[in-house]
Amino acid sequence: MNSTRMHLLMCFGTGCVSSGAEKVRDALVKELVARGLTDEAAVGDLDGVGAEGVLPYAARASGEVAVVNTGCNGFCACGPLMVVYPGGFFYQKLTPEDMPELVEEHVLKGRPVERLMFRHPVTQAVIPHYADIPFFARQNLRVLHNKGRISATSIEEYIGRGGYIAAAKALLEMTPASIIEEVKKSGLRGRGGAGFPTGTKWEFAAKPKSDQKYFLCNADEGDPGAFMDRSVLESDPHAVIEGMLIGARAIGANQGYIYCRAEYPLAIERLTLAISQCRERGLLGRDVLGTGFDFDIDIARGSGAFVCGEETALMRSIEGKRGEPRPRPPFPALAGLWEKPTVLNNVETLANIPLIIAHGAQWFRSVGTEKSPGTKIFALTGKVNNVGLVEVNMGVPLGEIIYDIGGGIPNGKKFKAAQIGGPSGGCIPKEHLNVPVDYESITALGAIMGSGGLIVMDEDSCMVDMTRFFLEFTQDESCGKCTPCRVGTRRMLEILERICTGKGEEGDIERLIELSKTISDTALCGLGQTAPNPVLSNIRFFRHEFEEHIRDKKCRAGVCAELVRAPCQNACPAGVDIPGFISLTGEKRYNEALVLHRERNPFVAVCARVCFHPCEGKCRRSTLDEPLSVRAVKRFLADQEVGFQIPAAIGNGANVDRKVAIVGAGPAGLSCAYFLARLGYRPTVFEAADKPGGMLLQAIPAYRLPRDILANEIRGIAEMGVTIKTKKKLGTDFSLTDLKDQGFEAVFLGVGAPQGMGLGMKGEDMKGVVDALGFLKEYNLTGKAKVGKNVVVIGGGNAAVDAARTSLRLGAETATVVYRRTRAEMPAYEEEVEEAEREGVKFEFLAAPLELVEKSGKVSAAKFRTMELGEFDRTGRRKPVAKGENDYTLPADMVIAAIGQTLKPAELFDGVTVRLNERQYLAADPVTGQTSVEWVFAGGDAASGPSSVVEAIAAGEKAAAGIDRFLTGADHALWRESRVVNTFFDPEADPVMANRPGLKLLPLARRSGTFAEVETTWARAVALGETKRCLRCDYREQPTEMPRGTVAAAHLAVPAAAAAAAK
Amino acid sequence: MPSLTIDNRKIQVADGTNLLEAARQAGVKIPSLCYLRGVQAIGSCRVCMVEVKGAKTLLASCVTAAAEGMEVQTNSPRAREARRTMVELILSDHEGDCQTCDRNVDCELQAIASDLGIRQVTYAGTKSKRMTDASTPALVRDTAKCVSCRRCVTVCGQTQGVAAIFPQGRGFASVIGPAFASQLSDVVCVQCGQCAAVCPVGAISERDEIAKVWEALDDPKKTVVVQTAPAIRAALGECFGYAPGTLVTGKMVSALRQMGFDRVFDTNFAADLTILEEGTELLTRLKKAIVEKQQVALPMFTSCSPGWIRYAEHFWPDMLPNVSTCKSPQQMFGAVAKTYFAEKIGKKPEDMFVVSVMPCTAKKYESQRPEMYSSGARDVDVVLTTRELGRMIRQAGIDFTALPDGQMDSILGASSGAADIFANTGGVMEAALRTVYEIVTGRELPFENLHIAPIEGLAGVKEAALKIEGTVSDWSFLEGVTVKVAVAHGLGNARLLIERIKAGEHYHFVEVMTCPGGCIGGGGQPRLTTDEIRLARIAAIYREDEGKPIRKSHNNPEVAAIYKEYLTKPLGEKSHHLLHTRYTARERV
Repeated sequence: MNSTRMHLLMCFGTGCVSSGAEKVRDALVKELVARGLTDEAAVGDLDGVGAEGVLPYAARASGEVAVVNTGCNGFCACGPLMVVYPGGFFYQKLTPEDMPELVEEHVLKGRPVERLMFRHPVTQAVIPHYADIPFFARQNLRVLHNKGRISATSIEEYIGRGGYIAAAKALLEMTPASIIEEVKKSGLRGRGGAGFPTGTKWEFAAKPKSDQKYFLCNADEGDPGAFMDRSVLESDPHAVIEGMLIGARAIGANQGYIYCRAEYPLAIERLTLAISQCRERGLLGRDVLGTGFDFDIDIARGSGAFVCGEETALMRSIEGKRGEPRPRPPFPALAGLWEKPTVLNNVETLANIPLIIAHGAQWFRSVGTEKSPGTKIFALTGKVNNVGLVEVNMGVPLGEIIYDIGGGIPNGKKFKAAQIGGPSGGCIPKEHLNVPVDYESITALGAIMGSGGLIVMDEDSCMVDMTRFFLEFTQDESCGKCTPCRVGTRRMLEILERICTGKGEEGDIERLIELSKTISDTALCGLGQTAPNPVLSNIRFFRHEFEEHIRDKKCRAGVCAELVRAPCQNACPAGVDIPGFISLTGEKRYNEALVLHRERNPFVAVCARVCFHPCEGKCRRSTLDEPLSVRAVKRFLADQEVGFQIPAAIGNGANVDRKVAIVGAGPAGLSCAYFLARLGYRPTVFEAADKPGGMLLQAIPAYRLPRDILANEIRGIAEMGVTIKTKKKLGTDFSLTDLKDQGFEAVFLGVGAPQGMGLGMKGEDMKGVVDALGFLKEYNLTGKAKVGKNVVVIGGGNAAVDAARTSLRLGAETATVVYRRTRAEMPAYEEEVEEAEREGVKFEFLAAPLELVEKSGKVSAAKFRTMELGEFDRTGRRKPVAKGENDYTLPADMVIAAIGQTLKPAELFDGVTVRLNERQYLAADPVTGQTSVEWVFAGGDAASGPSSVVEAIAAGEKAAAGIDRFLTGADHALWRESRVVNTFFDPEADPVMANRPGLKLLPLARRSGTFAEVETTWARAVALGETKRCLRCDYREQPTEMPRGTVAAAHLAVPAAAAAAAK
Repeated sequence: MPSLTIDNRKIQVADGTNLLEAARQAGVKIPSLCYLRGVQAIGSCRVCMVEVKGAKTLLASCVTAAAEGMEVQTNSPRAREARRTMVELILSDHEGDCQTCDRNVDCELQAIASDLGIRQVTYAGTKSKRMTDASTPALVRDTAKCVSCRRCVTVCGQTQGVAAIFPQGRGFASVIGPAFASQLSDVVCVQCGQCAAVCPVGAISERDEIAKVWEALDDPKKTVVVQTAPAIRAALGECFGYAPGTLVTGKMVSALRQMGFDRVFDTNFAADLTILEEGTELLTRLKKAIVEKQQVALPMFTSCSPGWIRYAEHFWPDMLPNVSTCKSPQQMFGAVAKTYFAEKIGKKPEDMFVVSVMPCTAKKYESQRPEMYSSGARDVDVVLTTRELGRMIRQAGIDFTALPDGQMDSILGASSGAADIFANTGGVMEAALRTVYEIVTGRELPFENLHIAPIEGLAGVKEAALKIEGTVSDWSFLEGVTVKVAVAHGLGNARLLIERIKAGEHYHFVEVMTCPGGCIGGGGQPRLTTDEIRLARIAAIYREDEGKPIRKSHNNPEVAAIYKEYLTKPLGEKSHHLLHTRYTARERV
């Protein structure tokens, strides 16, 4: 018989088995046998083995190559998977069809198959070796040191890796007291969630004299998304048995039970086998290892009640009674199972015990933190690239688990929160990604360490819905014994359900908090006491989402079905009926489409060019092939416009005489004017510049937004009865008091955030140093601006990219954008960055400006320091930190600072002062735009800080509705009601798969030196074809009225006469 | 003996005292729904929450032991608010049709809500699904009123060892009831009504049959007679504000007469009759065993308590031969009322309407058993509980407290003190021995005041031994025999006793009463029955017994008359037909 030259380790964890590992293994063995690489015996057994699915081939097959069924490897996202030794090659997502090639190439010819290897999720680089995959490389496998390495069904392999040495040491060389002492010294804390010191627990149970004691293992893992214990049991069952043996010896227990849920058949099967192996070898039963110590273990199967993970309920369940908690004291250490002294430890806790005894407490404490030593296993799931089981040192920052090991968030979405601790835990938001994962730090944030469930959520997760989900879970799993848990959590669930369905009421958040506190204070067991944790935690960090659901009837994540007509429309800040205008366009009913669009947003042609289209990010079509190109369809639609198509006015005639002033003719101000005009007002817009348009005109270059297009849409608004007065600057030419004196009843401040922020470093006042906004404005308003030969732009936003592209068009030889983070963190729109690159803009990432170098009175170079990404900041992004002193210099005769814009409010006010928010912008009600001065409203960048065009438009709309409500006492914003669009749709038809067509762009050769529009419109056939890709998420069998946000009336002061008139 | 502070008052209490009891001793009444002293302390309703210094959360006072130095606040804002919220939450899931509920003004939840001054339910929401179970003759369940306090579960499962009802399902959907949402009639429910006796609200009650009685009283063709069980006279007064243990026999008779019953009779008469039949049966069995050396089922068990009979049929079918064949006094009464008495007044059995007033819900079931038609008609037409009688007296507008004392009618109204004590645990045994001993020896029972002290009181299983000496000639075979007797009350104790017997313990005669304390603690008695109340009622019954001129059943002149005129002798042909019955082994489901 040949000695085995190659081991093929196939993961047989539950995840891989359910994704087809058995079939892959059978195909593999067949292939090996056919080539004589393993013996016939395996073939004979193939059917039988396949049926059982768990017997190790290694134990039977002899030959050159051995196939080993291991327990869970941990990288479940990649299953079925295989690790090949020698070499440690990692193969993923295997199918039976891959096996001939794999055997032929790798096993026979020694040529690893690249096609089946892991690729880096971002760089797409092939990573052949198991140990080099970041998912594994950043872990510290202690408890999981055997996972995927040994056959989970072989006690010999366990012993071969050092198993039962600790048990032998504990039984033969140590006293019970010294075992307990060692565990206490190690500082091991219960991994089931609460983190009680294990050694202390043992000590309590060791003290009382009793004819019988029990040692229990809690394998009733039940947190949604958690599978740490299952994997340990499946991959290394002996580790748990050894831990129990040592613990039983320490407290003097003779009988053990492993309480495992019946939903874990594989774990139970492997445990059963492991226990019988131990009995055969004298490791369990009477007179263990000849020491006179008796200890045996039985498996108690639970039927999956979550509450049976609570220790007193678990014990009741083992006793054969209804699994319900009882009040403590008495504590189980004194009166537990059948009223005898009992210790209950979690699977992971027990798996740590052999390591502590074998290597000593000091070794154990060598990783982790002072109060939370050792490692912790997490089941990393949710919106994260590398779903799987990870073991990390306690105290690592949460962000490292998610980004370094987890590989970040899929599809370029934004991280929102990590749910830790299951239904008793809470969410950690992006502001706290740096939190070290240890018991105290997690608890301080209102979550709990829990047993290791770690669910990552991205921007598509609704925190209210998530809260509802956890409450639903608690309600389902409550035993129903005590009032607060049985009825109280039900009432909380009902409140959450009504919030999620748009029926939330003012005061619901407070009711939830009150009830949460009372339930935590009164429930009988841990399950009930901690059930409100997700509620309190999510209200703490995501209160605004609750408020949006209650007041605006809006679910920003697009999850709550009753609040979301279509995800795209929901994602649009202006709430444009996207499926409506798309389908109308598809039927060539362009005027209707334009009118429908202008129900919510007057700027069709503008947004068709410059919108960052959040709608496309939420398009459900992306789950089939690619998201609909909403903006390109809109561009086609805008190009079909003849005249200015607007919906009918809906206001009353009396509004004509009421004077409303709007300060700033940017998108927010013009949008506010437009909607007021629709209500019958005749507002006056005061603009500081000599042309209206605000940032649309001053900051956005003409190659993105041609001047005539912008002017056309502004003219359309003006023709509705809006007077625009230019060269009128608030604070210089007039004041708010003046407006009041002139009889204006309400004022909207849409003044933007026009001041560029300085670099704050030496040399910034030098000649040749400008701010991006000033530079763009100069060119856009005057048609000329001076530009250097070598332009360096500092910053990463749209202004930086526009400044660089403008510089090149104005004749600069080089334009380099230097950004302190990486491309992934750039706030500029991806498509703009791409076009800039194509036009020749250079990008330098991870570089922060140090100083500007002067030569003969003007700038000659900029000095940068190389950065790297460090800790996570409050925005959830990694902070750039200096990477040593690797400085370098870029020659520059012009430096453009594009690091941000701000508002200087002091310049605005004279006599009337509007309160500012904590970011030093105008504090405005998010629903009505009303400020601290009741007749003054605000919106757009002036209130939100620099933001997008469409958000400014939305703010203008809200303020218009708010002003009208303020003046009339009633809500007339009828455009907010959903409309039935009578376009054809066949709900039965299957969608036809088709990728989205690319944008039509001006060839590079025709861009340089001109400001001609880069993006052009699609041919009609392309555009109409694209409209057919819409899945019509808005379709309902019956037209349904969507809940409408309320216009909060908190501090609306309605003139009595106006209120009466409104009635 | 820990000393602690409760609401800033220092108090010392016995070891193991819970905070709720400790507070009571300090003069503070903490409201609670699930706690039942001596029966249940599980901390499930969370109404009795108190604030204990140093504790992370509030604590349920019923399950927290007083400890040295503890500082307890029962009325802090935190505790008060939590308590209010708990009660509001319970109310939010409670079918609050109070005005039409049989617990109206007698409801613990109503009282607590009133005490706490709850005027609105802050967290309203969906209510639990209503399921009514009227499958048994004795009891009606309404899950919509259940507050999940689980008193019934503990009483049924632990006190009675029957476990017919327990929590089903989880969370808000959990209900208390028989397994698999079946009905009480489908399971081993013995219909003792102890669940109803402890229910704080109207979720389990007796089947209300007052209307049938009014209908019969209003029917001129019917002769309506009523029999009143011994236990009710020591408890009925509680329905009208009398202290527990107040005897209201005379007022009760007057009330019944005022309501229109044609005759007001006494179940006591039938109890005396039972003693003669059962005593004779015991002596016969003993004679067969000792003299004729036959295989005879011994010990003999009493058979007065229908819950016990049903329990034995379901749980101990092999013991059924040991159970006396005597009908219960209620059924003996019904049989003779519709035959012996009916003949006396020239009526046919079907023109008679026999109403019993019992402390018991199982009696409702018993009266419907097919064996109980020996008069040719149903022997007992309607059984009312003490509670129903109380309500009926109110319905009639009778000012109970102002009534004069009335006298029972003859010829089924006379009774001995021995009959009275049928109400108490140990009472049937004592009554039987008073007669048996005198028959066998010709002398009075050699105990002070005729009371066999060892079998009195609330100990769960009691026993006594009585050496028989100086027998009269007929019973000389018993000379020198030590008669061993045992008494159990509460079916849980009955189980213990039976297990002891099966393990080899020898007795001759065993009394079993279904309810703790005997009939005075019956499932139909005024709520709520505690051990103090049981003792007060027991004492009152003994007073009644001691006040009677006749204290032994065989001395009852009306009993003597019925044997002379009608039955001829105990265990005779007519007795066998009218006064004895048979039992059926039943499945345990």
